[in-house]
Amino acid sequence: CVNSLTDYNVSPKQATVVPGVTLVSAAQLGLARAMVSPNVNTNIFELIVQYWAETTYFDESIYNIDSRPIPRNFWRLLFLGNGSSDPTVAPGVLLNLTQAKTVITADNTLDAAVKANQLACIEVLSVYAWTVLVDTYGNVPYTEALDFNKPQPKYDDAATIYTDLFARLNAAITSMKSGSAGLGSADLVYGGNMTSWIKFANSLKLRMAITTADANAAQAKTQAEQAAPNVFAANGDQANFVFQAAPPNANPLWENLVQSGRKDFVGTDFFINQLETLQDPRLPKYFQVAAAGMAPGTYIGGVYGTNNNASSFSQPGVALQDPTLPAVLESYSEVEFLLAEAAARGFSVGGTVTTHYNAAITASIQQWGGSAADAATYLAQPGVAYATAAGTTYKQKIGVQKWISEYIQPVQAWTDWRRLDSPTLTAPAGALSGIPVRLRYPTEESNLNGTNYAAAATAIGGDKVETKVFWDKF
Amino acid sequence: QDRTISGKVVDQATGQGLPGVTVIVKDKGTIGTSTNAEGVYALPVPAGTTTLVFSFVGYATQEAAVTSANTVNISLATDAKQLNEVVVTALGVERTRNSLAYSATQVTGTDITVARNPNAINGLSGKVAGLSIQQSNTLGGSSNVVIRGTKSITGNNQALFVVDGVPISNLNTNSAGQQSGQSGYDYGNAAADINPDDIASTTVLKGAAATALYGSRAANGVILITTKKGRKNGMGVTINSGVTLGRIDKSTFIKYQKQYGGGYGRYYGPTNPYFNDSPTGELVAPTSEDASYGAPFDPNLLVRQWYSYTPGDPNFGQATPWTAGANDPSTFFQTAASTLNTIVVDGGSDNGTFKLGYNNNIDRGVLPNSKITKNTLNFAGSLNLNPKLTLSTNINFTRVDGLGRYGTGYGSENIMTNFRQWWETNLDVSQLKDAYFRNNTNATWNFASPENGDLSAIYWNNPYFVRYQNYENDTRYRTFGNVMANYKVLKGLEIVGRLTVDSYDEFQEERSAVGSTQASYVPYYSRYNHTYREFNYDLFANFNKSLGTNFTLQGVVGTNLRRQYDNSLFATTNGGLVVPGLYSLANSANSINAPSEGVTQVGVDGFFASATLGFRDRIFLDLTSRVDRSTTLPVNSNTYYYPSAALGYVFSEDLHDAAPWLSYGKVRANYAEVGNDAPALSVFDTYRKPAVFGSTPLFALPTTKNNPDLKSERTRSFEAGVETAYLDNRLGLEATIYQQSTINQILPVSVSAATGYISRYVNSGEVRNRGLELSAFVVPVKTGDVNWRLSANWSRNENTVRSLYQGVDNIILASYQGGITSNATVNEAYGTLRGTNFVYLDGQRVVGANGYYQMTDANQEIGNPTPRWRGGITNTVSYKSISLNFLVDIKSGGSVFSLDRYYGLATGLQPETAGSNDLGNPSRTPVADGGGVILAGVQADGSANTVRVSNSNYGLYGYLRNPAAAFVYDASYVKLREVALTIGLPKSLLAKTPFLKGADFSIIGRNLWIIHKNLPDADPEDVASSGNIGQGYQGGAYPAVRTVGANLRLRF
Repeated sequence: CVNSLTDYNVSPKQATVVPGVTLVSAAQLGLARAMVSPNVNTNIFELIVQYWAETTYFDESIYNIDSRPIPRNFWRLLFLGNGSSDPTVAPGVLLNLTQAKTVITADNTLDAAVKANQLACIEVLSVYAWTVLVDTYGNVPYTEALDFNKPQPKYDDAATIYTDLFARLNAAITSMKSGSAGLGSADLVYGGNMTSWIKFANSLKLRMAITTADANAAQAKTQAEQAAPNVFAANGDQANFVFQAAPPNANPLWENLVQSGRKDFVGTDFFINQLETLQDPRLPKYFQVAAAGMAPGTYIGGVYGTNNNASSFSQPGVALQDPTLPAVLESYSEVEFLLAEAAARGFSVGGTVTTHYNAAITASIQQWGGSAADAATYLAQPGVAYATAAGTTYKQKIGVQKWISEYIQPVQAWTDWRRLDSPTLTAPAGALSGIPVRLRYPTEESNLNGTNYAAAATAIGGDKVETKVFWDKF
Repeated sequence: QDRTISGKVVDQATGQGLPGVTVIVKDKGTIGTSTNAEGVYALPVPAGTTTLVFSFVGYATQEAAVTSANTVNISLATDAKQLNEVVVTALGVERTRNSLAYSATQVTGTDITVARNPNAINGLSGKVAGLSIQQSNTLGGSSNVVIRGTKSITGNNQALFVVDGVPISNLNTNSAGQQSGQSGYDYGNAAADINPDDIASTTVLKGAAATALYGSRAANGVILITTKKGRKNGMGVTINSGVTLGRIDKSTFIKYQKQYGGGYGRYYGPTNPYFNDSPTGELVAPTSEDASYGAPFDPNLLVRQWYSYTPGDPNFGQATPWTAGANDPSTFFQTAASTLNTIVVDGGSDNGTFKLGYNNNIDRGVLPNSKITKNTLNFAGSLNLNPKLTLSTNINFTRVDGLGRYGTGYGSENIMTNFRQWWETNLDVSQLKDAYFRNNTNATWNFASPENGDLSAIYWNNPYFVRYQNYENDTRYRTFGNVMANYKVLKGLEIVGRLTVDSYDEFQEERSAVGSTQASYVPYYSRYNHTYREFNYDLFANFNKSLGTNFTLQGVVGTNLRRQYDNSLFATTNGGLVVPGLYSLANSANSINAPSEGVTQVGVDGFFASATLGFRDRIFLDLTSRVDRSTTLPVNSNTYYYPSAALGYVFSEDLHDAAPWLSYGKVRANYAEVGNDAPALSVFDTYRKPAVFGSTPLFALPTTKNNPDLKSERTRSFEAGVETAYLDNRLGLEATIYQQSTINQILPVSVSAATGYISRYVNSGEVRNRGLELSAFVVPVKTGDVNWRLSANWSRNENTVRSLYQGVDNIILASYQGGITSNATVNEAYGTLRGTNFVYLDGQRVVGANGYYQMTDANQEIGNPTPRWRGGITNTVSYKSISLNFLVDIKSGGSVFSLDRYYGLATGLQPETAGSNDLGNPSRTPVADGGGVILAGVQADGSANTVRVSNSNYGLYGYLRNPAAAFVYDASYVKLREVALTIGLPKSLLAKTPFLKGADFSIIGRNLWIIHKNLPDADPEDVASSGNIGQGYQGGAYPAVRTVGANLRLRF
């Protein structure tokens, strides 16, 4: 007779209990991959902001997002990862962070200060992931999310979610103690260094404040001014996730640009012309010279939204082919741009628009291997110098330079472009829609969570790629 | 003491000996034999035997009294009660047709093997109403075998095979990715290991009432296979030897346009927009592309083509005329060749029988370097230890070696993806063949950038390189069989103890050679070791008792303990191979990731009882009950009961005088419930283990949430039917209606990913199947020499998803390339396809201001793969010892999405992409020069579309500018499935050959003609794999193969 009922029902090959920090490591990997991947199945924002054009298959460049389906895949990456049981497939973010929180909270053997630090780090990563979701989709399930007992979670108002995220982030910052250990070696971003985490948390807070500044200026001012004294102060501070040299933990850029042997992307003429006009020292890092075709040995961009012959145009730079190239979750350069904008908005964050603008550009050039002198030469050009740069508003001036500097941070580049509306991008002929300023909700949400989906679609003004998220006022 | 009674059985009408007549001792069903080719039998009978029973299909069963004489000759008459044959039912219990109150269709072994199909399962296609068999066109591919529709939303819906009491799973080891159209191989299903030549008869038990005794696994119906047994007296040898040859059916392969060559449009070099420029100023074909929207063919245009960069090619370094490839991909296929040889030695004496068989089957497919070898050794024996105790066994050893199974799905290993979706029409297959065989290297046509010296394969390999270097190989050793003891306690009571084993070890190796394109995956070697063991311990008592003159009682009480052990290990290299051609894990370019291990164990203890109460051999009441306890359910709810009841009335028994034209008539009705347990390991949560990150371990939650509160699921089935025969059995009609609902389904229901999970195990949902099955036969001619029999079956199954989960009205079963999904939607049939559709205005397709079709979101229902009905017509005409048999297999309705056309029309492969426009100009000419196309449709305001759009670059007819709905086709077909002409050696000749007892020669054909279909360029039946998902979706489909052959059978 059956006498081993429970033994038979428990897999002898899978863990039922794991250390909580291992789940955080997994979530960090998942987040880093989602942010940096140029895979057309998940993250097409390098294309949307027109850094790159596609060569043969230009579906995504004309905003065909359904045949992959990109909205579902990106949504899943942040919530729970790919459904594959393949051990080489990256894990998801929010579910594993939530589980880590549960496991670590329940761990009575852990020193209280260490536990508080670990939970705070988890909270910062969670807030980061939530902002990406809100910035991408608008209203999303939040208060009822990540609870399998609520199979049809309601959607929450995006602005309200942001307010709660500020509260959560502030609580996390308060509870972080730089003198105690954090996640230790499980921390694949900062190696357990809590001083760095405090800076990252404040830098994220600054980003969130400026992102929502057009929607809620008062809240933005308070939060930005609180955060400013404790943000990144050098490139060495920034939140980098360093990949491994060997698959499956190499940078997804390497997977797609090198390992696949494919030649799917070339720089757009729009971007490359801009870099060339300004004699940008980052151009040789960003792109390779065109192999052959019309003018060998020069940088030539392809036309966005149509076929481009890979060998005639400049392909993404050799620097992007390094499998260990870090995914930048937030850069020091970005923080300086945020401070520049805060200053321009009249927030008391110290410094002037110009000093921060210059620091931001300098940081970016140095990040790409340029020298301080390279940066100074670049900044000295009238087309770059803040006072004389093209544009009449701080958004236009900052927008162009921020766009140039956020080259391999496609998600943030898209967010900043939507908010700053600079540079001016135009949709290609034959596009299936206007330039996406959000992603549609995954099709499965309308199937599985129909009532809440419909309410959310109505609340945001229609589930379309042209619907602006709440902070995108202009 | 035993004595032997012998005699001859002849046909009353002709006086000729009848072979194959069953002779049994009355009331002792297990003591029996059958007549040999001359109709002669010899049967040892126990003392006290009073009566022998002679039965044979198509003849009236006769009883003969046993006196002191040792010879009993008898002549059988064809008779009214032809349908009252003995039918093998659950647990191997033989019952008369009269006593069956449920639908059971028996197909003889001969009918299955008539067309020499190496896969016995496929030999059933079109022969049984309600049985749906969908065959794959790959070599050794799996067949989807579903009886009366899909019942379980995400669980197994395959019929259970039971061979002499041994349950054989029809599951396959194909990955979920392979089944949903991603790159992979179809390793076939394990039920294909059954040797077709060993099958004596097959009974298809369709409804739950027929199968309740088998327990949960039989809820999908059972295909019960009885193998041949040794003869009781003497010895015999049968040799069966056949060879078949096959060629692709070109109506199921793509036809190419031959006007334009490789490229995606007019955007390459400055000299000629269709071509790149070499450093020396020659035009270079865009070899990195994989479409045929390139330059119009022009023999005067000289172009550096791929082979001009291939060292050793006669045209190396030369520019050559730009012309269509002389040999298109249809010439890539070779002639398939298959041999099937069987030898069976059998014999026996008073004390027992034996049978020893060996079968060798070698199948070479239409793709180069493909071969499946199957060797089967079979032993069956029985020994009468004493008059009460009989021991018997039946053991099969099979070894299947696969080499070069066809790649399936979307990827570089499936050449059909290349040929049907991404091809350049200037390519010549014979040149590719020469190029590969020159050095056995990947001399691809798809160089990344030859003009810049980059000769790596960008997306596609040389197709011959794929076949000869990137092949898979596999081996499966299998042992299945039983050991059984029958003990006759007393008259009418027998106890059976049986141990059955199904045990196999599989080893699969896959590889991608160094030098292959890395677009699908980097070069790799992977191995998969899988062992499966299943043991069933059966102990049951059969009893059979007359209760007075009018009543009989027959019953079974017993227990079945099932244990299944599944153990697998999958390992693959990481990041490439170091030494080319060395396929070992140690040859990995990077450290390998931990292999994935799978261990599942399932135990089910079942207890069952059944009773059949008969009244005057015409009314029968059948009651069964079973209780199961399964390890896959939570401990507190792991036990479940289920009953069935059936009632049948053979009304013709009471109408002999009133309606003499009625040969046979029976009505029957039954109700049954069957419980089912959960898939293994769906109760408790565990973590998954992603590859370690450097030295940092990672754990993550899985995306399916398990459920510690699962309960058993339940199928409720009702069935009623009538079976009739008329005019001395010249005409027959059988009809069955049924309704079957599976409720409380245990399914990983999809949930919003915002819950943190993609799916969660719950008890929820109901699927209902109801339908009508009709079968009929007519014997228009029946004389001594000429017989003509026509039989047909028809079935319609209406499948409806009645409910899902907590207000969810649709769940996604699978997602495919192309943004297509398979869905279970409330109030719709299972498996509907969703994707983007056209936008319609008053029935007209709406075109946007830019002249292209408007498209909806991807959540529109665009197809339903469930057919309206299925049918089969079998025609047998015989003249003396010559018979002609053919089978027409029909499926009506159902839809299929073609990824091949979704892409192939976009890349300009088919002729319709290169036609003329409304102005009479070539549509591929730029719009400014009078080309382009006005798409049929209306503008948003309802006015006729007048915008002429470009057809100069790729996309207009394919996926880029059309919704998925444009590539959904009707999947109906009418196929001439089997033809067989069998010529038996006349008896006059046989008489002159002392050793030869029989000889027949047959010429056979399979899939010779698709009489009707609506899917262009492909076989609507072809799917990537058996299973729930992937049905109604075709990508990289293989053409059908027309097979002809000859077979010789000799009996000594």
